[in-house]
Amino acid sequence: MQRPLLALLMIIPLAALADLEISDAWIKNLPASVPVRAGYLTLRNLTKKSVTIVGAISPGFASVEIHRSVSQDGMARMEAVPKLQIEGGTTVRLEPGGLHLMMMQPAQPTSPGELYRITFEYADGSRQSLQMEVRK
Amino acid sequence: MNKSSIALVALVALVAGFSISWFIGSNKPVELEAGTWFGEQARALPEFELVDQNNQPLTRDRLKGKWNLIFFGYTHCPDICPTSLQTLADMMKAIDDPDVVDAVRVYFVSVDPERDTPEVLASYVSYFNPGFVGATAAMGQLHPLTRSLGIAHEFRNRTTDNPAYDVDHSAAIVLVNPAAEFAGLFGAPQDPLALARDMTRIVEYN
Repeated sequence: MQRPLLALLMIIPLAALADLEISDAWIKNLPASVPVRAGYLTLRNLTKKSVTIVGAISPGFASVEIHRSVSQDGMARMEAVPKLQIEGGTTVRLEPGGLHLMMMQPAQPTSPGELYRITFEYADGSRQSLQMEVRK
Repeated sequence: MNKSSIALVALVALVAGFSISWFIGSNKPVELEAGTWFGEQARALPEFELVDQNNQPLTRDRLKGKWNLIFFGYTHCPDICPTSLQTLADMMKAIDDPDVVDAVRVYFVSVDPERDTPEVLASYVSYFNPGFVGATAAMGQLHPLTRSLGIAHEFRNRTTDNPAYDVDHSAAIVLVNPAAEFAGLFGAPQDPLALARDMTRIVEYN
């Protein structure tokens, strides 16, 4: 009895989620000596209501957080973005030098061409998964 | 000697003097699209000694004779540092003139010496370009250099139980001329093609 229920629970959030279009999702490769990677993607909200990302997980990494590189008085620093809100009808880009996924402690060394699954969790409890490609 | 010949000698001396300072100074006026050229405001670097990725000393003298681009950062930096180093790697690929490629050196100086050992730096810089040089030193050695270049850096939340600390740092690329003078600055974000054009201009004009 438990398995069909579990499967159903996993399907419902995914089905409810076609609202956010995620594209150009990739991870910047780095040598094995570096225990962190940055992930980038484009989030397009096709609906009229705002969508908020409250978490992200990837089986290939110990943790994934949304961070933002900010420049202040010529200094670059990173700040955590615990909740990323994408207003209805808008596009938010995670791209080099700005918002990015901070993907910590890869389970194995990464290499270009590999795909990593990532799952976003939204404020309404729904989830969305996609593959991110490692690029040189 | 009459007045006109004195004037002529003075004029020749003046022109010669200008020409000499023009050529040895490496500071001819260059219009940069991606950065700031200091021209006559270029100033000598202090003496320093860092250790490179091959455990060899990196000193002020080693910078002489080349146009040096120096970026300060740390390998645990996920976004800004790989982006800047990739930009510099793309810049090197975009430079057409082999003489310009030969005249330009790229340095990554880590402001996180405890985690960025020469071994870590070796795999890191060579990932972007086998010709890039990685270097670091204890803070006491780094500070005189970074201070003289206006490069700020400080640890954030670095405690014994937080091995994943960040280092805030200036993201500009420093230009050091063949006389080992601080000659210009490329602010972030940088564009590889604009950098390639600027470095070509600088090397070819000087």
